[in-house]
Amino acid sequence: MEEIRTGVYICWCGSNIAKMIDVQRIASEAQKLPNVVMARDYKYMCSDPGQDKLIGDIKEFKLNRIVIAACSPRIHEPTFRKALEQAGLNPYLFQMANIREQDSWVHIDREYATLKALSLIKAAVSRVEHHKSLDKKFVEVNPATLVIGGGITGISAALEIAGAGKKVYLVEKTDALGGIAAKLDLTFPYLESARQMLKPRIKQVQLHKLIDIFLNASIEEITGYVGNFTSKIRLKGLEKELQFGNIIVATGLQPFNPASIPEYGYGKLPDIVTSLQLEEMLIQGNVITSKGKEPKNIVIIHCVGSRSAKYHPYCSRTCCSTALKYANQLLSVLPDSNIYELYADMRTFGKGCEEFYSDSSHRKILFLMFDQENNLPKISKAPEKDTSEMIISMHEKLSGEDIEIPADLVILMTGMKAQPDAKDIARLTGVSLCGNDFYIEKHPKLDPVATTTDGVYIVGNCQSPKDITESIAQAKAATARVLASIAVGNMEVEVTTAHVNEDVCCGCQTCIMVCPYTAIHFDEEKKVSVVNEALCKGCGTCGSTCPTGAIESRHFTDIQILSQIEGLLKTEKESI
Amino acid sequence: MNMAFEPTIVSFLCNWCSYTGADLAGTSRIPYAPNLRTIRIMCSGRIEPTFVLKAFREGADGVLMCGCHPGDCHYQEGNYKCLRRYFLLQKYLQQMGIRKERLRLEWISASEGKQFAALANDFTEAIRQLGPCKVKTVMDTLT
Repeated sequence: MEEIRTGVYICWCGSNIAKMIDVQRIASEAQKLPNVVMARDYKYMCSDPGQDKLIGDIKEFKLNRIVIAACSPRIHEPTFRKALEQAGLNPYLFQMANIREQDSWVHIDREYATLKALSLIKAAVSRVEHHKSLDKKFVEVNPATLVIGGGITGISAALEIAGAGKKVYLVEKTDALGGIAAKLDLTFPYLESARQMLKPRIKQVQLHKLIDIFLNASIEEITGYVGNFTSKIRLKGLEKELQFGNIIVATGLQPFNPASIPEYGYGKLPDIVTSLQLEEMLIQGNVITSKGKEPKNIVIIHCVGSRSAKYHPYCSRTCCSTALKYANQLLSVLPDSNIYELYADMRTFGKGCEEFYSDSSHRKILFLMFDQENNLPKISKAPEKDTSEMIISMHEKLSGEDIEIPADLVILMTGMKAQPDAKDIARLTGVSLCGNDFYIEKHPKLDPVATTTDGVYIVGNCQSPKDITESIAQAKAATARVLASIAVGNMEVEVTTAHVNEDVCCGCQTCIMVCPYTAIHFDEEKKVSVVNEALCKGCGTCGSTCPTGAIESRHFTDIQILSQIEGLLKTEKESI
Repeated sequence: MNMAFEPTIVSFLCNWCSYTGADLAGTSRIPYAPNLRTIRIMCSGRIEPTFVLKAFREGADGVLMCGCHPGDCHYQEGNYKCLRRYFLLQKYLQQMGIRKERLRLEWISASEGKQFAALANDFTEAIRQLGPCKVKTVMDTLT
């Protein structure tokens, strides 16, 4: 039996941990735990000197198990695993205790927080004793890529990958490429034509030999894992199978339907249009009212369905700049008109956009502020004698006055919401949804286009509302990741898979029934279950179902978790 | 520290939704009761009934299991398996003389930091009302 020599490190994370947890006290308590050779506290374990200390100690004290109490393992587990490798230790002989996100940041009593941290460290120390070395496994990467969504984001991703000489399958659910961008006249802040930008790119995609386009297509199923996915897609009643190594999800979003906001009367009065309806009018060069007249008073209402507890809490991010774009466009086609911008807050971030706002505010546009939370402007039909068709009554927040504005045309700056089938695509691709049904990235800052499912990337508006610039930046970021994996040719895969101990397996096949990936089959000759480790994703459901304990969920074995529970509860009711 | 009864609760959180939700409570700095001690597993489907029983045996006053919302499981359906085991476990616990309210199953998504904090407070309070679980004391006397 090897002698277990555990090193315990308690990170201060500057003051993030140290202010709420007595790090020195738990370091000295940890020193007394079984198998612990040394315990230290250090300011920033993740820093280079922190990692060097760890590597040095492993060598000097012949440590063969490491526990680090610091932030969430979701943040720095990979960092420390690499450090272990550098020190020549298998990266799985390591356990983290999350004493920041789940302790120092959420507790306000230093004594309790310290006790909890110690308990989590005891659990980690007693778990890590049972950790086993696991060897890295690699799979070959299929160089084809599936791009879901044929909007400007998906098109950009497809062109980038095909441009590097790799195959792309571009799947679009509607009958045309271009998405929302194809419905736009001009773009902000430089008022360039969206079509001039989009059309040549669509042509390029259509002519590219390495891009297969599937229109009117739906994805029925995606199976496999990073490097080796297989998908069934349905096209006009036909089913087709595709194979690829990576997936880029660029499914975009849909506009919010303003009919649900009673104050705006959308659908009841004829000359209230949404932003996309106005785009259509502008493209046609035909901005007229339902009576065929040129509108004299035009009112643009911001934040329709956005930043409101009642509809959607988030900012749709592009509407303010788009509204400014409309004001400028309308002023140039109808120079005699009066333009009113009714806004809640002006949010014109992004390169050139604040300048665009500043320039616009010097033009003949009247900006009026309303109270988004309590007092929306109200649109009603004007009395017969009025020259305008509608009247908008509002409380102007800055002046504090109740005012009325005549209107011949009202434009609602409708916000954006997730696609109606966002959940279906999420399920197919294994991506998580946030509360608003947008997709969640692997890490909001450090890994913004990857997801928790390896080989699946999210780009553009399906991740959250954003403009064309940001969407294309994301598309290109994801393609860089995809092309890197293709260039390397193989990819590291999950090693924490299930494994059957054939001597213990009784052949009941319960595991086969519960496996969601059909990764287990029955060996008729040996009468035992066998796990296909390439298909296994390591959920561990089979392990907790197996009546004989023949299945081991690697890195989450029974003995590891049971020891963790023991360690966790050891501190309680014993004092320090 | 005061000497009033402070329950010890073991929570099993799935990596993809609930653990991430608990981390979000942290990054959002939402304070909650310090009684929860978390064990991270990849999927709520990995929560073996033995783990729950072991936690009570070792002195837990309550056990919380959390997974992704139905339909959102990272592994497609592990949370449904957890749900089935939960119903079975509740029956079993009662036969062992453990109040079934001491075990709870809740769905927490990766974006529900606030809900996780509220759940931690709520469950801690519920267990505080139930008082200490005596399984460990009894078992220690018997064995």
